Amino acid sequence: MQAVGCGGETQSLLNADQPDLLSSLRILDIDWLWHRYLQECCGDPAGLLERCASGELELDVLVVEGAVSTGSQAGLVDRSLERPLGEWIERLAAVAGYAVAVGTCASFGGVLASGRNPSGVTGLQFDGARPGGLLGAAYRSQHGLPVINVPGCPAHPDWMVGTLFALISDGLALRDLDRYHRPRVFYSKLAHHGCPRNEYYEFGSSAEEFSQQGCLFENLGCKGTQCESDCNERLWMGRTGSCPRGGFPCLSCTSPHFPDGFAPFFETQKIGDIPTSLPLDVPKAWYVGINGLSKLACPERLRRNAVSFKRVGPGAGGQSSEEGDERAPDDLL
Amino acid sequence: MSERRTISYSPFARIEGDLRIELDIVEQVVESARAAGTLYRGFEQLLRGRDACDGMVLTPRICGQCSLSHSAAAAAALHSLAPEEIPPNAYLTRNVAMGIELVISGITHFYMSFAPDLLAASPDDPDLLRFGVPGGSSFRASMIARRKMLPLLGILAGKWPNSLFLQPGGSTRSLDSSEISRSLGLLLELADFFESQVLGDSLGSWLALKREADLLAWLDAAAHASSDLGVFAAAALRRGLDRIGRWQASFISSGGWSTAAKGHWLEPGFHDGARHPLELDKIEECIAHSWFDAQDDCLHPSRGRTQPEAGRAEAYSWSKAPRYGSRPAEAGSLARMICDGDPLISDVLAKRGASVYTRMLARLHEMVRVVHQLGHWLRRIDPDEPFYRPIELPDSGEGAGIVEAPRGTLGHWIRIAQGKIRDYQIIPPTTWNCSPRDAADLPGPVEQALRDTPVADADKPLGVSHVVKSFDPCMYCTVH
Repeated sequence: MQAVGCGGETQSLLNADQPDLLSSLRILDIDWLWHRYLQECCGDPAGLLERCASGELELDVLVVEGAVSTGSQAGLVDRSLERPLGEWIERLAAVAGYAVAVGTCASFGGVLASGRNPSGVTGLQFDGARPGGLLGAAYRSQHGLPVINVPGCPAHPDWMVGTLFALISDGLALRDLDRYHRPRVFYSKLAHHGCPRNEYYEFGSSAEEFSQQGCLFENLGCKGTQCESDCNERLWMGRTGSCPRGGFPCLSCTSPHFPDGFAPFFETQKIGDIPTSLPLDVPKAWYVGINGLSKLACPERLRRNAVSFKRVGPGAGGQSSEEGDERAPDDLL
Repeated sequence: MSERRTISYSPFARIEGDLRIELDIVEQVVESARAAGTLYRGFEQLLRGRDACDGMVLTPRICGQCSLSHSAAAAAALHSLAPEEIPPNAYLTRNVAMGIELVISGITHFYMSFAPDLLAASPDDPDLLRFGVPGGSSFRASMIARRKMLPLLGILAGKWPNSLFLQPGGSTRSLDSSEISRSLGLLLELADFFESQVLGDSLGSWLALKREADLLAWLDAAAHASSDLGVFAAAALRRGLDRIGRWQASFISSGGWSTAAKGHWLEPGFHDGARHPLELDKIEECIAHSWFDAQDDCLHPSRGRTQPEAGRAEAYSWSKAPRYGSRPAEAGSLARMICDGDPLISDVLAKRGASVYTRMLARLHEMVRVVHQLGHWLRRIDPDEPFYRPIELPDSGEGAGIVEAPRGTLGHWIRIAQGKIRDYQIIPPTTWNCSPRDAADLPGPVEQALRDTPVADADKPLGVSHVVKSFDPCMYCTVH
């Protein structure tokens, strides 16, 4: 079901690659009951949903993208069906074997709930980081699980396909979910892991403006060291990219605090030279000490390239670190 | 007295977002239509009071399919507040990425949304089995083509939807020479899809067609007739899709794909039978039939207001009604080709009107032009020159960013004060196309184009579906 969202999860799912979507669907071996974008003209969507809600059609998995409007706005901001979407989702969730929220909006409210939350939306079982949401903290699907959250803005196609596969093969239990009910298999790493800028990070060698090669953490607002995802190992777009690989900061979009908790988006909040949000489990005193030391130890090569948009060598007058030392040849960029 | 009945379809199947189409039908023909956006999300409201640059992160989330276009418009709006010029590489990389977004969007629309209805209308036609979802050979080939575009975009944009690599100062991603050559190779793989699957001919030969007569002769060749475009054209003409979806069209296009501060790859304009220069001052958004509070009915977006009023009488849509000099206008590939004076599409328009067939042909033709052009832009990128220049935003000011999204003209208007967003107004292309009526009761383009469409079977109104989908509506954008 597509609720108050942008269709981004559907588009991301269409980007499934290695394996592609059609092969992924074959692995899943599922019958689509309904998806507005994949449905033929013109049908009777309310009739079909009613057959599911009444139990006439067995509903194994309910998947929702987009946040859900509740309270006085329900049925006003969403008028595509005659009854509010939230009502349908409550009824369908009550009979579904499993309920899955894909994307940060369906999981936690996300972008649609940011700021003054003009459409009065919440996630399925969380409102930000607070349990509750549309279905309430006590909700359990027919198979005894809470709503399984697959956040991300958008979610990676592997996260969606992999979660469905785990459910369909009965391979997902409560212990496989983290504190925000995200499958640990995808959300127990940091976006930082596998980042090609990690050598710059290690030596505190930072980009000062966009398009430069240095680490984006100290100046340009990168939250990759706090973001629980495997983006830089898994990679996006036919395994070619990630946010920092595109040169822009990770904004920790898999977090229930996204987006407002990570503003300002493009600069790093600091006290003195020290970022206020440090890497997730690194003690502050150690960070300060090691960071100071590693900056001192930073090779000239990294210092130079961190603030350059292209790889540059030592240039005229450049010297290798020790004369005749083959470990640091001049042509290492 | 013939019987008049009213039927509505909601949510309209297999388009982006929530569209309600309501039809008054007399003697199995549409007498009048209402197109409604049924979802409200409030992006313009939630941007107010935020940091000046927050639109860079939030507005791409308006749309899962054209996030880069919103990103480009948001960046251009901020850039318009500052005097600094940005490097040529910034324009080139932006064009490449937006061109790929356009092709992904166009391919997905043709093969997933539009073409399956051709098969549904003639399920026994062996030529059309290729368009079946998910088993048809052409549909499967289109999914492979979509996959081939992902790395091409991924190298530049990192991820998609919702890349942030387009910034007011240019591109966050600089390319080295190996990445340019790799991109050129990937682009050839995409061009192969167009040549072998879509056209059955080389891009160059297709682009040499300048008149409808050339096209008809071209379609006679067996290799062309059996290509996806050939099969589409034959089926469309056989089904009379050149006679439905027509309206007395005015077209709007900002041109787009500039390669420097001035100058466009495609000519901008407003076209109502003759081309006029595009004057942004003539754009207004009206709310007489929209669920918004109406102190002023029509306002220029730089003075626009967004105050929802869900119970308002006379209203039937969460979409505002954009007008150009008080007239509705069609945005999209057809509009771009007409405003640019593209000879082939201009001639087809003259012969067949702004029909379903013309609109779809324009989209396919534009994709071929873009794929052909992408290589030129890629080759002009100079890896030794910068891709980005930091720009200093003023504390206060107002500006606009107008770009061509896949579905047509997209505008962001921003006003900032003390570094915060005072007002942010957005007019996406489908707001133009799926606009509701205005205060003068003038229907929007889709509403006008649906008039006179035959509806033989109200449970399966394929003619209506052809007309609606020929505009490739994106209701997510519409009801931002």
